Amino acid sequence: MKQSVISVKNVSKHFKVYKKEPGLMGSFKSLFIRKYETVKAVNDVSFEINEGEIIGFIGQNGAGKTTTLKILSGLLYPTSGEVSVLGFNPWDRKQEFQKQFALIMGQKNQLWWDLPAIESFLLNKAIYEIPDKQFTETLEKLSTLLDVKDILQIQVRKLSLGQRMKCELIAALLHNPKVLFLDEPTIGLDVVMQKTLRDFIKEYNKEFGATIILTSHYMDDVKELCERVIIIDHGTKIYDGELDKIIKTYARNKTLTITFADEVSHKELEQFGTVKSISENQATLLVKRSDATQIASKILNKFKVTDLNIEEAPIEAIIREIFSTKRE
Amino acid sequence: MQKYVTLLKLSWQNGLVYRTSVIMWRVRQFLGTLMALTVWLVIFQGNPTAFQYTKDSMITYIFLVSFLQSLIISTALNGLADRVYSGEISNHLLKPLNLFGYFAIEEIADKAKNIFFLILETIILFLIFKPMIVFPTTGVFLLFFVWSCFGVIINFFITLLFGAFGFWSPDTWGPRFLFFMILNFTAGKLFPLDILPTALQKVLYATPFPYLSFVQIQLFLGRLNLEEIVSHFLLMLFWIGLLGSFVTWLWKKGLKNYESTGR
Repeated sequence: MKQSVISVKNVSKHFKVYKKEPGLMGSFKSLFIRKYETVKAVNDVSFEINEGEIIGFIGQNGAGKTTTLKILSGLLYPTSGEVSVLGFNPWDRKQEFQKQFALIMGQKNQLWWDLPAIESFLLNKAIYEIPDKQFTETLEKLSTLLDVKDILQIQVRKLSLGQRMKCELIAALLHNPKVLFLDEPTIGLDVVMQKTLRDFIKEYNKEFGATIILTSHYMDDVKELCERVIIIDHGTKIYDGELDKIIKTYARNKTLTITFADEVSHKELEQFGTVKSISENQATLLVKRSDATQIASKILNKFKVTDLNIEEAPIEAIIREIFSTKRE
Repeated sequence: MQKYVTLLKLSWQNGLVYRTSVIMWRVRQFLGTLMALTVWLVIFQGNPTAFQYTKDSMITYIFLVSFLQSLIISTALNGLADRVYSGEISNHLLKPLNLFGYFAIEEIADKAKNIFFLILETIILFLIFKPMIVFPTTGVFLLFFVWSCFGVIINFFITLLFGAFGFWSPDTWGPRFLFFMILNFTAGKLFPLDILPTALQKVLYATPFPYLSFVQIQLFLGRLNLEEIVSHFLLMLFWIGLLGSFVTWLWKKGLKNYESTGR
């Protein structure tokens, strides 16, 4: 049985935020009187993650994803609750713990901006006390895999976003961390690079049995890498389970795409479901998930059909629906 | 230990990337000393002493101020509170490093760079003014070195103290600016503190500021008796202990409040 590596119990993190009234008068007023509000960035969240799992952390902007990752990394002190990562309380910031995990944030960097990336790698080698052999081998492997061998001697500020992101990843992985927190690792990258990075993360998980939590706005990242997802909304966990089961749990409709032998009118199709589109002899219908097969059979009986497809709603649409339903 | 040595080397490399900034910073320091020397030499024209200082001891004073400015007062951590508030320190907090150790390395790298340039500048000033420097005995010289290190530690803790403001407020420059102003007058940077009225001197000695240059210079110039040497020595240790404990407590409290914004 796989061991639990990350354990989060009833964790909350609240911030006090200063609210300023708009305009110049608001600015003057704020010199004397300030209004503060408590924001519940993470609210009573609990979950367990086992060794070797890749978890997709999904949520809208400001949902509390990054805050949770920062708590797990020991950057933030939780307002309440208990956290354990690899048996350590992250907040204690024990060096034995810090040598075993890495937090990678797509928009921020740990590389020294004015120096070539190799200098930052050498510094990490010293900081994480990486043996020479492991350093040389890992660097060789990672820089070949990510195709950055030629740019390691160039000042970081002169690199493109994609090149920098790859170097960030190398810097974070040189010490072969057992736990990886990836916050938007593919942000700003082109589709080819996104795919390379995804393949790389998959490979890393397989080779080192690393436990990975990934947040991303790109559902492709989540779909390709994660079997299990945690959905968080306004600081509260609203789903924790297999990605596939989201469809079964939340999808209300299926999509029927039909090609008719003859032209069919909008009115004729309305009785079967919501007509999303219709053009000459092709139509797309949105039907109740449970009735999809039955409706398809009725259509086949009534019309001369040359092709019919029953599809699940795309996961993006379902998640969008979950969030909009919650908001209502 | 190796990690801190590598960090030191990298900090040096990083500090030398912007050549114009380095040169301009040094020109500013050089002009400051040049002006001070010129002004005091004018004051001493026709006067053997001024404010109980001979010409040679005042020239020595100015050279020492310039040296201690680079060693004690100048700091790479001026923007620390900003770095705290903006979340920039998150990178250090994630790594198996001692946070104060990291800052200390930044300081050492910066001070070493300053002193390197200071030596070059001092040679130029020596060639221009051909001053007679008053040198103390070896024992006093060694004690001066130890006291200078104490000054470095006191200023390091004060800098960390101001840095901690960033945990609670974005208004980090106001208090820091006020501190600079106070420091310019109270560390003996602009003029020797013993030309001030006795009552004011007493007030100043109740603060750590005279230990950021003035007291060290007084020792070097042989203007302290044994009793004063012992009491200043103990007071410096007192300030190190007090500020060190307070800063450690404050940062622990601050880190619990840390928001790691923007990172």
